[in-house]
Amino acid sequence: MKRITTIIMFVMTLGLIGCSGPAGSPGITENEILIGNVQDLSGPMKELGKIIPAGSNLYFDHVNNNGGVHGRKIRMLVEDAQYNPQKTVVAVKKLIEKEQVFCLYNVIGTSPAEAVRPLLAESEIPLIAPATQSGTMSDMSRPAAEYIFHTDTGYDIQSGILIDYAKGMDKNAVIGVIYQDDDYGENVIKGVEESEAEMGITVQKESFQRGATDFAGQVMNLMKGGCTHVIIAGIVKEPIIIMKTASAMGFSPQFMGISPTMDHRVALAAGPAGEGFIAANFAQLWNSDYDVPKLYRELCERAEVPEAMMGMYHYYGFSTAIVLVEGLKRAGKNPTRKKLIRGMETFNNWDGAGTQPLTYNRNDHAGAESVILVQILDGVQTTITDWLK
Amino acid sequence: MKGRYQDENLKWIPALIALVILLPFMLKGMTFSYKYYLYILNTIGIYIILTVGLDILSGYTGLISLGHAGFMAIGAYSSAILVDQVGLPFGLSLIISPIIAGLFGFIIGFPALRISGMYLGLTTMGFGFIIRRLIIALREWTQGSGGLVVSSPELFGFTIKGDWANYFLVWTFALLTIVASRRMMKSKIGRAFMAIRDSEQAAQASGINLAQYKMMSFFISGVFAGLAGVLMAHTNHFISTDHFDNMLSIYFIIMVLVGGMGSIYGAVLGTIFIVFLENLIVPVVEGWLHAMFQNEAGDIESLIFGLIMFLFIIFQPTGLYGMWLKIRIYWKLFPFNPKQKFT
Repeated sequence: MKRITTIIMFVMTLGLIGCSGPAGSPGITENEILIGNVQDLSGPMKELGKIIPAGSNLYFDHVNNNGGVHGRKIRMLVEDAQYNPQKTVVAVKKLIEKEQVFCLYNVIGTSPAEAVRPLLAESEIPLIAPATQSGTMSDMSRPAAEYIFHTDTGYDIQSGILIDYAKGMDKNAVIGVIYQDDDYGENVIKGVEESEAEMGITVQKESFQRGATDFAGQVMNLMKGGCTHVIIAGIVKEPIIIMKTASAMGFSPQFMGISPTMDHRVALAAGPAGEGFIAANFAQLWNSDYDVPKLYRELCERAEVPEAMMGMYHYYGFSTAIVLVEGLKRAGKNPTRKKLIRGMETFNNWDGAGTQPLTYNRNDHAGAESVILVQILDGVQTTITDWLK
Repeated sequence: MKGRYQDENLKWIPALIALVILLPFMLKGMTFSYKYYLYILNTIGIYIILTVGLDILSGYTGLISLGHAGFMAIGAYSSAILVDQVGLPFGLSLIISPIIAGLFGFIIGFPALRISGMYLGLTTMGFGFIIRRLIIALREWTQGSGGLVVSSPELFGFTIKGDWANYFLVWTFALLTIVASRRMMKSKIGRAFMAIRDSEQAAQASGINLAQYKMMSFFISGVFAGLAGVLMAHTNHFISTDHFDNMLSIYFIIMVLVGGMGSIYGAVLGTIFIVFLENLIVPVVEGWLHAMFQNEAGDIESLIFGLIMFLFIIFQPTGLYGMWLKIRIYWKLFPFNPKQKFT
């Protein structure tokens, strides 16, 4: 009995010792800011999982080489969660509790980013630029919304803009949408249904499972439905296969895509079938002549980034890194998580990230609500509109 | 007259309870990141409830299931809807939701009366897919594939929130599951399950009703998976169809297989081993590979899991528990153990 009491006392003492935590703001040292990123390095989106943080590191290296943020260098830890919400929660828990990161940045995927909301609230840790364009991310009525700063235009808004544009091109347009049957597609359909109600139209909806490579059935149905405009809510390989399948079937509607389809590899791989494809984009085109894209290409050249890596997703990592760095600057010389949140909330029509101008305040963390449209003309992506709302 | 459990060593039960109670205190004393480890322990606890149930079905009754994530999803979504939309108390949902999952198990049990082996595996895998589609189709309640926010559990007027409280909730049920399953497998039901596994004809000739016991096994297994789902939903506060993909079902089978099929302790050991491997060992190996080759290690996790399964099937088909039994016998006989037998 005496021995058991001794063991219990020892364990209790250990518990009490553990009560005292590290002093100061987590992830901040005299010369370093530690941030946590969760990507898909070995799951269905693994090609993006490597490219996006590489783009972010390109900018962080540039900042670090120029003295860092208030003298502190930025170091980013990347965890692999395979686009799985359960694994994302474990990864975020590890980043917050074990690695003691200052803030989270770029958690990829809608359901993975949604799954970490309870952890954000529990640790009061901000998540800057979740790598999903789902409109749910900027819904201030959802839990922990005050900790999330969305940089991208929601999929629901994008689908509404594309339907508007199609109707503007041809008022008798028969519109169809082919969407990934997951959280991404769910948000696209939300926007489509809102447009249907608003415009009194019916949009033909065809779904496919994530990872699908055969779309003949869906394309056949859209052809039977007499669609003149087809919106594709996929990533990179889906628009390529869909447009090639349609071309082989002799079906040639005006294809349009939600922003994840905007990658330049679509133009390269789809060939003639992809000619004329219009995609929504939430940022300036990476190969355009604006200041940030110019800096991006200059740094890519200096760092000898392989050409295959450059493009929309790499640029996405780059531009969201600029947003984070600006937030860190605004958090002041002695940053805390609360100061970062307050700093982010001072963005007012700020256009320094090569995206559309961003605005945040206490009641609005959406950041942006517009897109530009980019069309493949003679095999080259060309901006065809200004920012559309 | 000799009691039913007289032969069984029950000393481990209080020791196990004491260990479970003391473990979080020890962790807190040892590391700042104890909350991370607590979260992993909570995951282990939830998975143990499921894998013990899966072991009853696959290890004890010999009926393979590759769709257990589907049963887990039913439990999780049923409870989220019952508590947050219907307004039932969590305590009641804790009973009803696993039963709903069990009833789905009962339905899946029907084809099991006629098919077995690989065909049953494929049928149950199909069930996993159907459940995902069903959740998406019932979007009015489930929010489709967008996912569902779930409330914290409330029991006896207390709201259970945070890793610390979740730990005691999850492990209370994990311990109850282990003890109850051990008891069940030592009873007439367990013996009937094992008889069916060993030879259906012989079991039937001995008067065992195959249909009744096979469906009972599916029901029990479904109930445990449903209970795991309820606890997962209310301790994670968010569920989506992505939480219950079919790879998870395969992981559960790996856990049972590595632990040793047909033993409750095996399922427990296998679950602990695989979750620790996934969260603590694989990242270290990935780090080494990254440092050695200056390149991303890629999908090293699947490679390691595949290799482990392969090695266990060939060299250690009785799993970790079988290994433990061999070691125990070795030390019991030491130093008089015959050399060739323990290589």
